[in-house]
Amino acid sequence: MATTYQQLCNEILREVNEVELTSATFASSVGIQTHVKDIVNRAYLDIVNEEPQWPFLSTAESGATDPMYGNTYIETVAGTRWYELKPASSSILGDYGYIDWDNFYLTTVGVSGESAPYTARNLRHTTIEEWKDYFRISENLDDADSQSYGVPGRVVRSPDARNFGLSPIPDQVYRIWFFAFNQPTKLDLYADTVVFPDLYVPVLISKARYYIHQFNDNAQGSAFALEDYKRNLKNMKLHLMEPDPGYFKDDRIIFV
Amino acid sequence: MPQSLPFGVSCKGGLNTNLNQFEMLSNPGLATKLENFEVDSDGGYRRINGFEPFGGGDAARPNSTNAILGLFVYADGLIACSGTNIYFTLEGETWLQINRASVAGGGDDYSAFTGRSALARTNQNQCNFAFYEGDTQYGELLITDEASATKPFYFKMTGTGALGNRTYFAKEVTVSGTVYPIVGVIHDKHYVVSGDSNNPNTIYYSGTNDIDDFTSTGSGNIKLDDKVIGLKSFRDDLIIFCKNSIYKLVNINTSSTIAVVPVTKNVGCLDNHSIQEIAGDLVFLSPDGVRTIAGTARIGDVELGTVSRQIVSITETIANGIDSYVVATVVLRQKSQYRLFYTISGAGSSQAKGLIGSITSQGFQWSETKGIQATAITSGFNSNGIEKTYHGDDDGYVYIHNSGSVFYHEGAAASMRATYETPNYDFGDFGTRKNINYVKISITPEGTSQPVLRVRYNYADTDFPQPDDYTLLSVPLPAIFGESLFGTGVFGASNDPMVRQAVQGGGHTTNFRLRTEDSNPPYSINGMYIDYTPSNRR
Repeated sequence: MATTYQQLCNEILREVNEVELTSATFASSVGIQTHVKDIVNRAYLDIVNEEPQWPFLSTAESGATDPMYGNTYIETVAGTRWYELKPASSSILGDYGYIDWDNFYLTTVGVSGESAPYTARNLRHTTIEEWKDYFRISENLDDADSQSYGVPGRVVRSPDARNFGLSPIPDQVYRIWFFAFNQPTKLDLYADTVVFPDLYVPVLISKARYYIHQFNDNAQGSAFALEDYKRNLKNMKLHLMEPDPGYFKDDRIIFV
Repeated sequence: MPQSLPFGVSCKGGLNTNLNQFEMLSNPGLATKLENFEVDSDGGYRRINGFEPFGGGDAARPNSTNAILGLFVYADGLIACSGTNIYFTLEGETWLQINRASVAGGGDDYSAFTGRSALARTNQNQCNFAFYEGDTQYGELLITDEASATKPFYFKMTGTGALGNRTYFAKEVTVSGTVYPIVGVIHDKHYVVSGDSNNPNTIYYSGTNDIDDFTSTGSGNIKLDDKVIGLKSFRDDLIIFCKNSIYKLVNINTSSTIAVVPVTKNVGCLDNHSIQEIAGDLVFLSPDGVRTIAGTARIGDVELGTVSRQIVSITETIANGIDSYVVATVVLRQKSQYRLFYTISGAGSSQAKGLIGSITSQGFQWSETKGIQATAITSGFNSNGIEKTYHGDDDGYVYIHNSGSVFYHEGAAASMRATYETPNYDFGDFGTRKNINYVKISITPEGTSQPVLRVRYNYADTDFPQPDDYTLLSVPLPAIFGESLFGTGVFGASNDPMVRQAVQGGGHTTNFRLRTEDSNPPYSINGMYIDYTPSNRR
């Protein structure tokens, strides 16, 4: 069972010998208790900011749909260039926290009415400037004239970061797969749980201790806590972000 | 890394409701609440004793549910006024009605006495007793009451053993026609009375060595210019407490020089039942608090002083409601205490309040009582020279005062709630937030006790986290060789154990409250040691 917001707060309160919170008093916390609630959230967001692609922020389990192309997809409409990354969101406040722009994938697999042989290709990320300079005019003219369109080969990030564009403009329905990561949700209720395993709770606690010791003008305690945080965070990154085995490949050719 | 710091408090000074919080900081031993505690003359604050029915399991009320209006330790028993009667008892189980009419001048035996008709004390109210030691076996007693509807009642008893073997003397004393005084006192061989409703500013004194005759040699009367509230014989003088002034009557035995000399015309007495003599002083309740009249070595030189400045807010409350309160006071000689109880007639006994003034080397130090309803109280030495203290309540019960560990409300045992609360300590720096680590409390148990500690920060501000109450570890009674009974004490336990309690939280100020609400024996709180860590100056 994941650690709750109340447990996190009480661990900090115990550290500084303050009055602990109960489920009954949690919502009506006052003074330093409220401050501790704040700093637990602050520490939580600090961890998230360190690495937006934390696995625990993934919008869905990748590979839930076989074959594994990403954790989110959007189906195109013939003749439409721009698509909202998260159609259900009405503003950037509800959008995904992070998009892996280097990992967009186009396929007809799973599209209604499609059968083998399928179409599939990686979509290369193209900057808006490059697209504007080299592709926009011709695609717009095609759209206004023959509307022959094509199979998209590039993905473009809109300047407001809420949409992606395809180039060329799709000529039929495709599934565009990509990896998206949610924004973290601040802890609020006493029973709210952190989204990462308990193994990494000490990382959050270390950072929260850093803040509470700062509050108490305890520079030494704060420095110790920050050191703990950095070391723990490094391990957390190592475990969650870089678990792949390291290989060395030597491709030198020796002529004998 | 901030280091924890110590703060020690010795419990002394008593209750103080007068000083502001900052003034309190220079006297950390003071109490902002001290209820059902007494200032221990040996230091610390001691939870008071309770009281128990006079007569134990066979206790009986003298006159059913009629309130007790007066008590007096007489001979080897106790006299109680209740309803329209006066009673005497040896043990609190059977009460002999003594307000009898037509008692023979030479005394009645028990049979004749109990066969006499009742001499009703019409509309009897709170009573006053004047005791004349004289040369009789138990002395003579004169009783007046504040209804001013009857003459003073005279009573004397001789003989020993069972009541049936004794001789009784009883009669009404005529002062002058239909003069019905409400107060009376024996002073220098005279019985002095005053307070008649038609002559409220006249004092009457009996003949010399003739306390029941106001016409014989040495008798007389004097008219004052203020209404007499109370009388008290003090050394060679008779102090006359009036409503707005105080006089003293001097030279009562010399008709040529007898005089009434003003002591003050600025201070009066609120209630004659508040007047007591303690430690060579007379104390009384005045509109501005409890005062003393301290006689000095020089005759006629009188000093007035207030001794209740620390609790002026409480005495103001009493003064403002004096007409609705029934006031009763007593001096506990062994404790050097002046106890004043005030209750509203008919109100629940659990709500009745009182004050305890303990004389210490620093003068009077005060505490409060709650739950002792005393419509009458007395303390005196019986014929065996043993000090006895009794009080009676509005429901007609008579109790042995200052005994046991519980209260009785409406005749049923009730646990006693005792509370001691400290000032709000800033530990020398108000601006710094302090985190309290633990408290060590020095307690002297007289039996097993288990107080509950409450800690409040920043003047109990609800905008700051306040911890739940802490029930201290049970404090055992130490076993003392030669005294302890098996199973009642703990071998090796300290006489004055320090009970350590870890606490949570912090603030700019901290105050502590210790409370018990049980039937356990008393205990004394001697002081506290507080360990705290300064944290920040936010």
